[in-house]
Amino acid sequence: MYNFISLPFSTLPDETMPEVKSTLREVLPKQGQLYMEDVPTMVLCKPKLLPLKSVTLEKLEKMQMEAQEAVKQQELAMKEQVQQMPS
Amino acid sequence: MEVTMDPLFLAWSYFRRRKLQQCSDICSKILQDSPYDQAAWSLKTRALTEMVYIDEVDVDEEGIAEMILDESSIAQVARPGTSLRLPGTSQGGGPTPAVRPMTQSGRPITGFVRPSTQSGRPGTMEQAIKTPRTASTARPVTSASGRFIRLGTASMLTNPEGPFINLSRINLSKYSQKPSLSRTLFEYIFHHENDVKNALDLAALATEHAQFKDWWWKVQLGKCYYRLGLYREAEKQFRSALNHQEVVDTYLYLTKVYQRMDQPLTSLNLFKQGLDHFPGEVTLLTGIARIHEEMNNISSATEYYKEVLKQDNTHVEAIACIGSNHFYTDQPEIALRFYRRLLQMGVYNCQLYNNLGLCCFYAQQYDMTLSSFERALTLVANDEELADVWYNIGHVAVGIGDLVLAYQCFKLTLAFNNDHAEAYNNLAVLELRKGHIEQSKAFLQTAASLAPHMYEPNYNLSILCEKIGDLQSSYTAAQKSEDAFPEHADTQQLLKQLRQHFAAL
Repeated sequence: MYNFISLPFSTLPDETMPEVKSTLREVLPKQGQLYMEDVPTMVLCKPKLLPLKSVTLEKLEKMQMEAQEAVKQQELAMKEQVQQMPS
Repeated sequence: MEVTMDPLFLAWSYFRRRKLQQCSDICSKILQDSPYDQAAWSLKTRALTEMVYIDEVDVDEEGIAEMILDESSIAQVARPGTSLRLPGTSQGGGPTPAVRPMTQSGRPITGFVRPSTQSGRPGTMEQAIKTPRTASTARPVTSASGRFIRLGTASMLTNPEGPFINLSRINLSKYSQKPSLSRTLFEYIFHHENDVKNALDLAALATEHAQFKDWWWKVQLGKCYYRLGLYREAEKQFRSALNHQEVVDTYLYLTKVYQRMDQPLTSLNLFKQGLDHFPGEVTLLTGIARIHEEMNNISSATEYYKEVLKQDNTHVEAIACIGSNHFYTDQPEIALRFYRRLLQMGVYNCQLYNNLGLCCFYAQQYDMTLSSFERALTLVANDEELADVWYNIGHVAVGIGDLVLAYQCFKLTLAFNNDHAEAYNNLAVLELRKGHIEQSKAFLQTAASLAPHMYEPNYNLSILCEKIGDLQSSYTAAQKSEDAFPEHADTQQLLKQLRQHFAAL
């Protein structure tokens, strides 16, 4: 009987590598039923290769970052001006 | 005594060396002294355009509104193999989602992203609205509110004296009669100001002045119509331009129009016509390969990418796509050679090192694996990339059986990107192994709600519920898993079992 263990990684290392002794001979039963049971196992999501970026996309992203930075700095400058005004 | 260079010549020199800011500054000075200097004016418009120039062929950002309120496609329910919108119709025998992860639009992930492939096309309104919430692939509501407008307004803000050219006060018909000025002015309006309506007016006047015989202006008119969403008009202009002069760019623009109208087969025919005129043209071949890839016909896409590499053996997109295809068809050692080639060519970024690390690991070259990932981690540009790299390191940890490390890696993934559905799913598997059923279930439910296009979380949830005896939930989850991946044999079997159970009741 094949015993499938239902969870991934649940086989312990020492179980998977039984010591082989030459004194034991392999026995194949001529009678009786051999059955196997397919127990569903959980699946992991697959490793993800990251797509490379095209030059255009990189440029777009860079421009957007720079634009955001510029806007932020300008807003900061505006705030400072407003703070200085009353004094 | 110092001999000063003629400032205009110096500005030209700066322009040629792509020191655009200096060029623009010198031109501004010349213009202050003599405001009617046409050469300086024209040069300054060119410099400002070049600063923000993006290849229009590559730009394609479809907003939610265009997608949902789409009236240009011919058939709402297209036959298989004739539409870009039916991601499930694979005829190419490409890898199934069991091996190759999917993007949100239900296509296998590709080896290369361009502005138009960035987020794919979600099938329903619900999915379209949901997408921006998963931060990394935010989609504008319409393309008119998209990146271009944001860039345009930002360039205005940075000029405290206001814009260089005040478009509302400019006399377009005067400029349209001066061919040497009108072209630079058009490009400035189109690329720098992103004011498509004014650009269209100028192009219309100019093409009239050229007695409708200038192919360049027709192409520009087509570009404007395309941006405005008037695809049939754009098609007419590009066709007419092709009658005057065969240009590769015009073919590319025209095929873009057809792709937007969801007629990939017409695009393919057109590419082939283009190849008759320009045999072995790399951009046309790449275009064909991209369409095949988008139609999920990976094997013929790879054929065409190989054809591209025969013409240009440093084509990054082709190398990356063939590499990723080899990786997902169980040949990581060949994929490794392609990615190493990219590294030799001088591509140096986080994505490449991450891919190298994965390929090394699965090709059993363990010495390089961790150092590649370390490099990838030092080169990341943002949190999403960092999350993805940690996610892949988690896989390596699973592979060597170090489940504590794997657990930590997936946790780190979530720390950097809270919407990483794959990491939630894998954490759930690890949690269940530890015996934490409730925690595992919660993770799976989160993963399923974050990524309805993935079958794994629903399938896992179905198994888990079946085990704890909640057959009804198991059945609904299995059905969702079947929707995402109809050919999945294990899901089918589980459903069959459950139906038997229910019939027995």
